[in-house]
Amino acid sequence: MKILKISCFAFMCLLLVSTFSGCSPSSAPVSLQVKGTFIEGEVAGGEAETLNWILAADASSFAYAGLTMETLASYDNKFNIVLRCLARDIEVSSDGLVYTITIRDDLKWSDNLPVTAEDYVYTLKNLMFSDWLNYNYKDDWMEDVGGKKVFVIPEVINPTTFTITRQTVQPEFIYTLYDLMPYPKHIAVKYEGDVEKFTQAKEFNELSYTGNLGPYKFKEWLKNDKFVLERNPEFFLGKENGAPYFEQYVIKVLGTSAVMQAALEAGDITQCGIEPQNVAKFKKLDRINVYTIPTRGYNIIGYNQRSNGWEGLRKKEVRQAISMAIDKDTIVKKIYLGFAEPAYSFIPSSSPWYSDETVLKLGVTPLNDKKKAIEMLKAAGYEYMESGGRKVLLDKTGKQVKLLLVTTPGSEIVESMSLLVKQELADIGIEVEVKWVQWSTLLRQYMMNRVPASNQEPRYNNGPEAVSEEPWDLTLMGHNTDLLAPSGSAVFFASDGGLNSFGFFNSEVDNLFKRIKSKEGLDKEMRRKMYGDLARLISEEQPVDFLVFTRANVGFQKNVKGIEPGINMGYNSYMWCFE
Amino acid sequence: MRNYIIKRFIYSIIIAWGILTVTFILLRVGPSSAVDRYILNFAAKGQNVESVKQAIEARYGLDKPLYEQYFLYMGNLLQGNWGWSLSTSMPVMDLIASHWIYSFQLILLATIFAIFVGVGLGIISAVKQNTKFDYTISVLSFIGISIPGFWLGLMLIMVFAVQFGVFKTYYDTSYPVWSLENLRQLILPVITLGTGELAGYVRYTRSSMLDNLRKEFVTTARAKGLPEHLVIGKHVLSNAVLPLVTIIMFDLGSVVFGGAYLTEIVFGIPGLGRVSFSAIFANDYPVVVAITLIGTFLVLIINLATDILYTYLDPRIRYD
Repeated sequence: MKILKISCFAFMCLLLVSTFSGCSPSSAPVSLQVKGTFIEGEVAGGEAETLNWILAADASSFAYAGLTMETLASYDNKFNIVLRCLARDIEVSSDGLVYTITIRDDLKWSDNLPVTAEDYVYTLKNLMFSDWLNYNYKDDWMEDVGGKKVFVIPEVINPTTFTITRQTVQPEFIYTLYDLMPYPKHIAVKYEGDVEKFTQAKEFNELSYTGNLGPYKFKEWLKNDKFVLERNPEFFLGKENGAPYFEQYVIKVLGTSAVMQAALEAGDITQCGIEPQNVAKFKKLDRINVYTIPTRGYNIIGYNQRSNGWEGLRKKEVRQAISMAIDKDTIVKKIYLGFAEPAYSFIPSSSPWYSDETVLKLGVTPLNDKKKAIEMLKAAGYEYMESGGRKVLLDKTGKQVKLLLVTTPGSEIVESMSLLVKQELADIGIEVEVKWVQWSTLLRQYMMNRVPASNQEPRYNNGPEAVSEEPWDLTLMGHNTDLLAPSGSAVFFASDGGLNSFGFFNSEVDNLFKRIKSKEGLDKEMRRKMYGDLARLISEEQPVDFLVFTRANVGFQKNVKGIEPGINMGYNSYMWCFE
Repeated sequence: MRNYIIKRFIYSIIIAWGILTVTFILLRVGPSSAVDRYILNFAAKGQNVESVKQAIEARYGLDKPLYEQYFLYMGNLLQGNWGWSLSTSMPVMDLIASHWIYSFQLILLATIFAIFVGVGLGIISAVKQNTKFDYTISVLSFIGISIPGFWLGLMLIMVFAVQFGVFKTYYDTSYPVWSLENLRQLILPVITLGTGELAGYVRYTRSSMLDNLRKEFVTTARAKGLPEHLVIGKHVLSNAVLPLVTIIMFDLGSVVFGGAYLTEIVFGIPGLGRVSFSAIFANDYPVVVAITLIGTFLVLIINLATDILYTYLDPRIRYD
């Protein structure tokens, strides 16, 4: 009887634990929870290009490989650093030049050899920094020393510790370090120096070396169809809790977003993105959870301040007036159906460096005011005349101001925004002609520039004298920002920015970008203040009209548990499970 | 006949080589580069876009002069090496080998479906001219010709997969190609791809049959007391089928080149249509050139097969 009572008690405990524990790390026996196949839907075009991630140019390749290998660290939805392959957080010397990295001692390759500091240093020195491999993101690991670009210096200290030494301070370099993944030295040496063999190496293209480094192991990849992974029972983060809890993880590529969403509705896939116009419908479905999360993407109207754009755009007041006339709330409500927020600089409100007090909020009430915009244009020296019952803005020669907006076709949202801009600017007397060109044409004929009658190769920023092949005034495009290290946006807004096609040159902005990346920036409070100043300056200068930061909607089958909606929702995905 | 086939085959190789060369050159001299779509990616990470572009081009030999790339490619092609796919990181040959079967099965089944149902309905419609059946089939075939395959596919998914749950919303490659499950999941894609062709065949068959039904040899056959099924099946159909063969073979060529890829996209079938679609958008030159070459060859072979078929269907036709 006693045995029966104990058994009943144990059973009840088990039942309670399995009912209430969900997917918490301390949950009940693993065998109860490991089940099912998680199918993530992806629209064609977003598929990874290679699993040999060091050769990758696209974000998806890193994401695919990331399911089988953890980086040194990640961050949660509140930007707290979460250690992965690191045994403890990276130590930075007081002068900000030496980074000491200590990895866990239980990391293993598939052939059971330990993952060591030597592997990391080899990956950096012999692969990423090599001339023969041409790693795409080399610049992340370079610094400007005395006008010369040099690599940082990695060095092995002991089997689990290595250091990276810089000659200049860059406070945000640590985020690059957190993303580091290693290649197994003992395998990679076989291909070293031969880019063709390295590119085609079976071990790297099938991720057969990843050992216990990630929650899943590679199983199959049928291009344009599916990427299949199976549970890795040896995953180093699953030792205590038995994670991950899916038998298989599949990324299924579907032809269109309509079919993908139909697949979610029918229960054929577990997760996918949902377009704004379908969110309400999916929210009504009993078996689907829809999460709205911030993203890193934002839309801009770029102002051509080079000499082949309208001369008015070179004046801050004119740019401000135009930005003031374009209603961001309309874009949020009517075009994005509420799934966006107005943008005022390249730092979104979801970034830890955002400062609401400093930015000039052009384009939203009270600074969405067409009358005031007209006054500002008049104050800038431009006159109006009446034509057909409408006010028409005249340029310095007395002709009506007509601006050319160049953008790419194919997106309903871009089309709606272009038409809105046309309407809004018509209200302040500016006629806008919208020209749709293919992406490659936009880049080559409008964004790339060079000094006329020079031998320069066209680049995206060939200095203040350079102009594009074709004249333009406005462009509508999407950008991304790095939430933790937004200073990467210097490429767009600094005078020497490689993608500063707009021709915006401001020494104060340049100086702030430099200071953020200097020793001064080591002090987080000081960096926050500098970011605040930069956001204010950028929002006042309006090199571009920052329109909106977009939000993504992600639908899940309701039986998926453990999800923490937020900016980095997938940070704990290895802990997700089916109910 | 043998000499004719050999001659046509040699012509086909020359035409294919010409098309391959033109495609190769057009892809290289066009404004797009394999790197274009990553530019904002690189920029967002603060990369020097130009140096990254040069690095990628150097890695895949795209920085070499065009003539050098061309001769290198042709040399490799003659040795059976179709190159390395830039966007999928695998040999082009392997990529095609792992995907062709999905296009082939879809095109084959859709064509069989369209021919049998379309020709069958066309014959009945002609024999029962101006009856309710004929009118109904005529109206349905006009609808079938007019419906865009893309839309039809989506509607079939919404009704039969989402509402009734009879089929999956997408094609599942987990099932073996030679299995009943696979055959079952191809029902909606085959209907989608085959409907337009089927409707066309109904109209062509009906028209061709009616032309022949009015001819004197049919009256003679009937006067001789031949049973109606022999009159229709042996005399009328065998004469009506010749123009149909041209149309069916022409359609087959169009489907291989374009029609199937929309169906593949809608149903998530990883066939060559999708491979080429993705490759074009990724500026994956080796794949685009290879698939163009295969498509060209297929069309040329289909044309040759059509010509040969004529000689069997109509012994009066000779090429000697």
